[in-house]
Amino acid sequence: MIDVKNLSKSFGDHLVLDGIDQHIYPGEKVVVIGPSGSGKSTFLRCLNLLEEPTGGTITFDGTVITDPRTNIDQVRRQMGMVFQHFNLFNNMTIRKNITLAPVRTGLMKQAEADDAATALLRRVGLEDKADAYPAQLSGGQKQRIAIVRALAMRPKVMLFDEPTSALDPEMVGEVLEVMKELAQEGMTMVVVTHEMGFAREVGTRVLFMDGGHILEENTPAEFFANPKEQRTIDFLSKVL
Amino acid sequence: MDWAQYYADLTAAARAGERLALLPDLFRQFYQAFIEGERWKLYLKGLGSTYQLTVIALLIGVALGVVVAVIRTAHDQQRLGHHNLLLGIVDRLCRAYITIIRGTPMMVQLLIWSGVVFASSRNHTMVGAFGIGINSGAYVAEIVRGGLMSVDMGQTEAGRSLGLNYLDTMRLVVIPQAFKNIVPSLANEFITLFKDTSLVTAIGGSEMLYYAKAIGTKTYSVMFPLLGAACIYLVNVTLLTWLQGKLERRLRQSDRR
Repeated sequence: MIDVKNLSKSFGDHLVLDGIDQHIYPGEKVVVIGPSGSGKSTFLRCLNLLEEPTGGTITFDGTVITDPRTNIDQVRRQMGMVFQHFNLFNNMTIRKNITLAPVRTGLMKQAEADDAATALLRRVGLEDKADAYPAQLSGGQKQRIAIVRALAMRPKVMLFDEPTSALDPEMVGEVLEVMKELAQEGMTMVVVTHEMGFAREVGTRVLFMDGGHILEENTPAEFFANPKEQRTIDFLSKVL
Repeated sequence: MDWAQYYADLTAAARAGERLALLPDLFRQFYQAFIEGERWKLYLKGLGSTYQLTVIALLIGVALGVVVAVIRTAHDQQRLGHHNLLLGIVDRLCRAYITIIRGTPMMVQLLIWSGVVFASSRNHTMVGAFGIGINSGAYVAEIVRGGLMSVDMGQTEAGRSLGLNYLDTMRLVVIPQAFKNIVPSLANEFITLFKDTSLVTAIGGSEMLYYAKAIGTKTYSVMFPLLGAACIYLVNVTLLTWLQGKLERRLRQSDRR
């Protein structure tokens, strides 16, 4: 589904991603973990070109998205993204946050999008917040809405960039719950996270990144039980 | 007491070569500057033109400023390896515009507009409004650009990640939020503009100072017309500043919602 070949990214002289090869298959739940500065967020952000790779190619469903001639907006409509800091549009109600993109891109008519928004909000238990503004919501509520906002575009894959890192501990659960349900429905997901429990429970594959490389990858069970690299063992001993 | 009669007596005495005492003389000049021939109406008429000039100049300034700011920001935010040649050229033009306008006195600009560019135009007031608008645009552009940059990058990223194009993201997400941040600075610009319209007098446009000077010339006494004009400016600027404060408080309230 997403094919990454020899992907590299540098900011000035600083090489953040160093020749990454990776393939993400439909239905997979790939969890990316690693120390901060390892390049995991940059890797994720390259997948929908929020970061422009300095080398290599990324192909999504047969479209080479790193090709400058590709209409990146078209591609992004099929890739949902959830951010660490939610990034809900502060100047709009929740309903408008959810319906803006589907309506503007011609995916739905306004009435249809409103119905879809109501259904999505009900699904995450926030239908009473449709007319609220982001500033009135808690972090957990914002993030659940950010997830359904992305879902409103009916994406084929969902990218999560540390979705629970900015939340109060007691709100982490409600967001992970929504993500688990999404996983059970068969959504293809790439998740950068520090939630090892989530990686173990939901992930179908774990990537461990360090220094711009994917150092180790395995099924969660195998990865957590028998890490092979010394760096992985060190990392896991600190976070588990 | 009949003020009009008193004024007529004083004027007659002065004409006859009599030296007036200080207070009666001040009274005579005051009456002459504001009341005789209902001259106060001229100041009000001038004030009307001043507001008209301000609003037209501001509209030109804001329209121009927003366009220039969006172009400059769009140019600076281009994706790596996607440098648009046309955008590059327009950006250069915008930079040149800002440099030239901010680097030369408005007085000189106005004289050039009226004496060189629109030398054949008789409508000096409109030329003045145009000149001030063009001048204001450069300052507004920098205010707006600051406002656009003050909106969290995450808002743009969220818009783009949903598949909205750059212009839609700017128009629907970033600019409305930036606007709220720049209202205080824009109001300041409005107040500055209001005072700067007095420069239009120098190119023969009619606004408040123009009438004040005309009255001064006609009566051979500039003190009261000029002091009067200054007072009217001061009162209006105070009023506008008060309104600005109210607007700011209103906007801050919506932050807490």
